[in-house]
Amino acid sequence: MNLKQKFSEKGPAFWWTGFAALISSGTIFILFISLVIESIPVFKAQGISFLWGTDWFAGEAYGALPMIFGSLMVTGIAVVMVLPFALGSAILTSEFLSGRLRLMVKAAMELLAGVPGIIYGLMGIALLTVWVRDVFGLIDGNTLFTAGFLLAVMILPTVMTLSEDALRSVPGEFRDTALSLGLTRMEMVFKVVVPQALPGLAGAVFLGVGRAMGETIAVMLVIGGIDRIPQPWFNLFAAGQSIPSKIGREAAEALGFDVQWSALIALGLVLFVMVMTLTSAGNILLRKAR
Amino acid sequence: MNRRLFKERTILFTLYGFTVCGCLVLAVILATVFMKGAPAISGAFLFEESRNFGLEGGIFYQIAGTLILMMGAALVCLPVALGSVLFQTEFLHSPQVKKIFRLLIYSLNAVPTIIFGLIGYLFFGVFLEAGVSWVTGVLILAVMILPTLHVSIHEAVESIPKHYREAGLALGLSPGQQMRAVILPQSLHGIVTGTLLGLARAAGETAAIMFTATAFSGVRLPQSWTEPVTTLQTHILLLAQEAANPEALTNAWGAGLVLMTIVFVLITVTLWIRSGLEMEAQR
Amino acid sequence: MPRRSSIKSILGLALILLGVVGTVQIGLVGVTSALAQDSTVIRVAGSTTVLPIVSRAAERFQARNSSVKITVNAGGSGVGIHGAGTRRLDIGFASREITPQENNRYASLTTTVIGRDAVACVVSSEIFHSGVRSLSKQQIGDIYLGKITNWQQVGGPDRTIIVVDKETHRGTRHVFMQYLFGKSNARAPGARLVTGSNNEEQAKIAQSDSAIGMLSIAWINDDVVGIGIREGRQVIEPTLKNVRNGRFPIARNLNLLTAGKPKGRVKQFVDYLLSEEGQKIVESSGYIPIHSPHAVSKVAGSHSK
Repeated sequence: MNLKQKFSEKGPAFWWTGFAALISSGTIFILFISLVIESIPVFKAQGISFLWGTDWFAGEAYGALPMIFGSLMVTGIAVVMVLPFALGSAILTSEFLSGRLRLMVKAAMELLAGVPGIIYGLMGIALLTVWVRDVFGLIDGNTLFTAGFLLAVMILPTVMTLSEDALRSVPGEFRDTALSLGLTRMEMVFKVVVPQALPGLAGAVFLGVGRAMGETIAVMLVIGGIDRIPQPWFNLFAAGQSIPSKIGREAAEALGFDVQWSALIALGLVLFVMVMTLTSAGNILLRKAR
Repeated sequence: MNRRLFKERTILFTLYGFTVCGCLVLAVILATVFMKGAPAISGAFLFEESRNFGLEGGIFYQIAGTLILMMGAALVCLPVALGSVLFQTEFLHSPQVKKIFRLLIYSLNAVPTIIFGLIGYLFFGVFLEAGVSWVTGVLILAVMILPTLHVSIHEAVESIPKHYREAGLALGLSPGQQMRAVILPQSLHGIVTGTLLGLARAAGETAAIMFTATAFSGVRLPQSWTEPVTTLQTHILLLAQEAANPEALTNAWGAGLVLMTIVFVLITVTLWIRSGLEMEAQR
Repeated sequence: MPRRSSIKSILGLALILLGVVGTVQIGLVGVTSALAQDSTVIRVAGSTTVLPIVSRAAERFQARNSSVKITVNAGGSGVGIHGAGTRRLDIGFASREITPQENNRYASLTTTVIGRDAVACVVSSEIFHSGVRSLSKQQIGDIYLGKITNWQQVGGPDRTIIVVDKETHRGTRHVFMQYLFGKSNARAPGARLVTGSNNEEQAKIAQSDSAIGMLSIAWINDDVVGIGIREGRQVIEPTLKNVRNGRFPIARNLNLLTAGKPKGRVKQFVDYLLSEEGQKIVESSGYIPIHSPHAVSKVAGSHSK
């Protein structure tokens, strides 16, 4: 049967659903291509120095490095802070909790995942910044650390549920064999199950990182908004700027105003590439685990 | 107690600690929003218009705006998500293509939402000339929640037992009839839970709509396709920037409480539906 | 436990309900839009300094002209200028003048002045009450450049100065930097925080106990106090009186921008702002009307909370 015959036999269901499928699968390409096309003006004006320039002044120079640094820094802080809690609860829930308790924890995580970003932002700006300032004796609580802390809470449900799935998908034989060899329950978990689930756990972390990198509103309100790399670079308690936060603050101003708009889109492109790389790596790892 | 057992117990204790902390976070957030927001809630607050930059009056039109964007997004997204899933399950047979498809949808889910705002504005605001309007917002959010609906519907359709489909084929149903008679009814729970989750996600989104769909004041209900709306999320954002003013903050918390209530009701209903079915499945 | 068939019926009902509510809602919008065919929509946005004036005026104007709808947004002077220039907005408002670049870009931009305001250098009330009542231009400049970092160096307590800067497109910043360094796009390496609107800046300075910032004088209150500017031996306080008589050095016009001269409904609104009633709104918001017949002795504006 040649191609033409094959297609002419397709009923209306095929074409309508096919159209829908085209939209949903093509969207990500459209996003990427649009980002690239709209970024061209700023790269034309400044070349690749956009990526490592440190000066950002609308109308004059556009350097993305402080924002890239800020994004990496707050994400790093978030991951370090969330890891013990997410992995700890995942291990407990998958290996030690009964069905009902498990469902309750999972329900709690599902609710936590639904909390809107602006609520985190509100809690951050009204409570967390003051708390951070007082507890750490800083002059001001709007820092990279504060943003990282908020992000850690935001990605907790994601990392926890995916890790839990990864752990549960380790086949029962591993557990049975370990126990029959005389290992205690805890030893079985940490020496057998966790290592087996490692790709899945890594995938969970990567996906959490991707989510943390993309968060705009909560970070925007507490990070300080300074387009600068802290001195020294590892000073978590300095104010800084992340990519989504920068875009969020300047987008309204730059709507359609060429080079500045293009610079913001270029920032978006850098973010897109970073997040997509991490998420794809994460998805691959998760699938390997299954 | 020997050493091994002691170690075992300590680690278990630590794990419980971490888990409790994790769940405690939720409790802390709920308690804070409730305690700080409850003072602001009153009949007047919920049904009056906001005045004096949100310091006085209520949040009626903000609630309306959030609902308009949510519902609109779900309405636009549902047919596309449904169609897309059905195409994948009924007409695509090669596992590689299916894998690629899934990858694309999952990738869409990971895109930072501010980028939806940026590109969405280009496409719907500039290209379609809808400008900064509720229509732009609805379309952007519809694209954003597409993966949420897609995944849920897909799972539901995939879990339809094979013999249902085989029965349909044996009766000579065309793909379209198969969809209508067999697949849709059997996957209804996935469609509903997916839509509810999508609504919750749309309600919680600020970044994608803050410069593409909303205005600060002078907006009640949009009266044309190209007018902006005012939403709970952006209202809270505005008030949050006046963090030193206790009146502004109280209203911000109040609006936050309303927003959280909407989102949590949606998620709780979803969890209830899902748990009802899981219990069914375990019988 | 809910049985499968009853779940299905609930779900079916839920879906139908969602669909109905959603369609009704969208339908309502469509209907009201059909009914509202004759109404004009005026889109305005821009500086948060001018916002209170325009927002209040818009409320009153709409109350009188029910066929006009004015949507107001903030965003900053930059948003107002670019919005007006690209015709995305019918009126943009700014708390600064148009730069030469902006003038080149948008040849048809027309400015209408509706009032005057001043930018004060403000400090946290704790700093003011511990003795720092005025600073010289040089000192403020050095603070923003990062050369002076502790309040002790200028007669205050031993505390690190939290320097609060603003987003670069904000009118308040343009005017302040122009005064300090002679150019509106000066960098401030000593800055510790960047804020956006006047509201945000006010909140951040009030929250802190050792901050310095730049703020429209209408936003000065008990927690955020304006200090005097020392020029030579004189100290010029940031009062409306000093702005009217021209002594206060950091003053600016509050501008409305339109692409070309205002016409039709837009002109009606602009005229309203220029009218006596509109100018009363300017004054009650804490600014100076364009024709001010009498001196005002109070310092604080209407945003004292």
